Amino acid sequence: MLRYILKRVVSAIITIWFIMTLTFFLMKAIPGDPFSSEKMADPVIIENMKAKYGLDRPLPEQYFKYLSDYAQGDFGISFMKKGLTTNDIISSGFPYSLTIGIWASAIVLVVGVFFGIVAALRQNRFVDRLLMLLSTLGATIPSFVFATGFLFVFSKIMGLVPSYGVNNWKGYIGPVIVSALFSLAYVVRLMRTSTLDVLNQDYIRTARAKGLPEWKVLGKHAMRNAILPVVTYIGPMFAALITGSFVVEKVFGIPGIGNLFTTSILNRDYTLIMGITVFFSVILVICILIVDILYVLIDPRIKYQ
Amino acid sequence: MTNENKLKTLPDQMWEPLGQEEKDAEKIERPSLTFFQDGWRRLKANKIAVISMFTILVITLGAVVIPWFWPYSYKQQDLNLANLPAVMKVYPVDGENSIYVTPQYTLMVVGPKGELKGLADAVRKDMAQKKNYFDINGKSVVVDYSFYSDGLKEYKKLEKSVKKSGNDMVKVKKADYLKAYFEGTDTKEVSLSEAWDILENRLARTQVTCDGQVLTDQVRVKNRAYVLGTDGLGRDLFIRIVYGARISLLVGFFAAFINFVVGVFYGAVAGYAGGRTDNIMMRIVDVLDSIPMTLYVILIMVVVGPGILSIILALGLTFWVKMARIVRGQVLTLKQQEFVKAAIVTGADTKRIITKHLIPNMMGPIMVNIAMQIPSAIFNEAFLSFVGLGISAPMASWGTLCNDALAGIYVYPYQMVFPAIAISVTILTFNLFSDGLRDAFDPKQRK
Repeated sequence: MLRYILKRVVSAIITIWFIMTLTFFLMKAIPGDPFSSEKMADPVIIENMKAKYGLDRPLPEQYFKYLSDYAQGDFGISFMKKGLTTNDIISSGFPYSLTIGIWASAIVLVVGVFFGIVAALRQNRFVDRLLMLLSTLGATIPSFVFATGFLFVFSKIMGLVPSYGVNNWKGYIGPVIVSALFSLAYVVRLMRTSTLDVLNQDYIRTARAKGLPEWKVLGKHAMRNAILPVVTYIGPMFAALITGSFVVEKVFGIPGIGNLFTTSILNRDYTLIMGITVFFSVILVICILIVDILYVLIDPRIKYQ
Repeated sequence: MTNENKLKTLPDQMWEPLGQEEKDAEKIERPSLTFFQDGWRRLKANKIAVISMFTILVITLGAVVIPWFWPYSYKQQDLNLANLPAVMKVYPVDGENSIYVTPQYTLMVVGPKGELKGLADAVRKDMAQKKNYFDINGKSVVVDYSFYSDGLKEYKKLEKSVKKSGNDMVKVKKADYLKAYFEGTDTKEVSLSEAWDILENRLARTQVTCDGQVLTDQVRVKNRAYVLGTDGLGRDLFIRIVYGARISLLVGFFAAFINFVVGVFYGAVAGYAGGRTDNIMMRIVDVLDSIPMTLYVILIMVVVGPGILSIILALGLTFWVKMARIVRGQVLTLKQQEFVKAAIVTGADTKRIITKHLIPNMMGPIMVNIAMQIPSAIFNEAFLSFVGLGISAPMASWGTLCNDALAGIYVYPYQMVFPAIAISVTILTFNLFSDGLRDAFDPKQRK
């Protein structure tokens, strides 16, 4: 077990290194540098700026400095937001996205798994059809449509939630629900499919034949296998949810990290783009790593490959 | 008894020739169905899929044809006609005409059936009193907008006091417009953002008087000139949505094309070659897949500039990845089968095996996957345009239309509703259609 975990950790580190390298060279491949677009006619100023950000060094040197800085957790200084480090900016935005993401994930897991099982048990009946219709809608309607619709109904018409910002808990309701919807729709479907698959297996028939009560058949025998595909999905999903959605954060006016990432792309803030990209991929890789380890704990059939 | 004797004992009527009908008894009644005919038959039986297919056809046809004869173009703007909704709330003035108060506090004269008769010329604009005077067919109409602009001044004061004290809550009794809104309960406190919201969205902005009488009864009439209203620059919203459909469909079909050409080819080569080639090719796919699409778009935008081209290029870079994986998987299993070995034995070269033997055998999964990627491409384009990385003005895509409408969502919700419906319906029908296609052509994938 320990060896398996160690192996997974090493491969996770290699993945992160790979993404870092790729991001670095992609950013370097962009023609021109961040200062060429600004109205700095004086070449001396440009030279000074470049020296400040280390852009006058040869490329390999820049690359190794970048790697060692990042390894020490120093993501550099923002190009566009004067005087702020990337670390400051990330730590100012991340808490909002994290809160929303954790709540949204909880909703997806509890509600999604529950309704997935309900749909499977009532296959092809009204409840199942209704849930499938809702999940198709949830997976097809873009989040900005949902988000603005939510705001319009609950803020403008009913006045239940604030229209802007997250000053109190009410402000979180909309962002959490809208962030959760897409994954929720998917998890309901996934859980339904896998439950149906499992319920057709022989060992379920055996369990029923030996006279186990239905809740035990479902809870003890069916669920343990049916939940596996969902477990695989929650890793990337959790990572995606806690790293924020630009759309949700923009519509609800939240200064979260999803918002920051896209604005940094729009502003061509290269250090910030690199910092956030690496930050995101570290989160993603860690989430996948945790899920991989969980998976082995839940399903002993998987040998530690 | 010999056979000859047996024949002689047969009754005579057995020697008569068969009638035409009896001859056909052994015939196979229907022609055997090819793979496509079979799938098509199943598809036709699926009502939802057929309805979706027709909806898609109607949308496509509309997107192509409507701009040819529509009286407005997508960039034709008239600021005088800005922000006119599809259904206007008007004050009837006399039997013939009614008036609509524009956001600029001018008056649009509207005919009995909802036709726009043009802006009324102001007799006098009293900036100090914040009143605009008009003459509509001999009746004098006054638009009083002092309430809103006084409110705005009060709000500015509130904002300053909040900045000073650092406390985000403001007392209702400090502003007249808040008192009016809460009707006397002036001990209440509201947050600054709510105070803004009340002023901006919840209170009526104008008071209209006609010959000294305050007009209160509003009637709803349909806008005859612009079926879905106009946007903030006075452009026809309907034709902009139609142009948005053009862009979305273009992006969608392009994604399908890339999928088919690059994805199928790449996957087939990787799967058929196998071994190290396969390994390297699939690792390249993994790498391409691991970078977020927004990053590609920005990188491409820097080179070719913003617009539909950069979106199409970004889609071209990334959208064939899933198809390549599916095709590779299919090829890996198919190439072990006897018909491929037979083809090799008869001397077919690799190109022929891939194009004539392998690809026709996986048309089911390929078609289904293409149909699934189209809505996903449309979704992505709408998202990128919404974010501001996509189509730029004056062109319109559904994402940009929604983004433009977001700022005025409370005042002009219709500007958001119509493009939102367009996106949702299109993606939904494409999804339902691809589900039907999957059930008909690739039943194994059914979940």
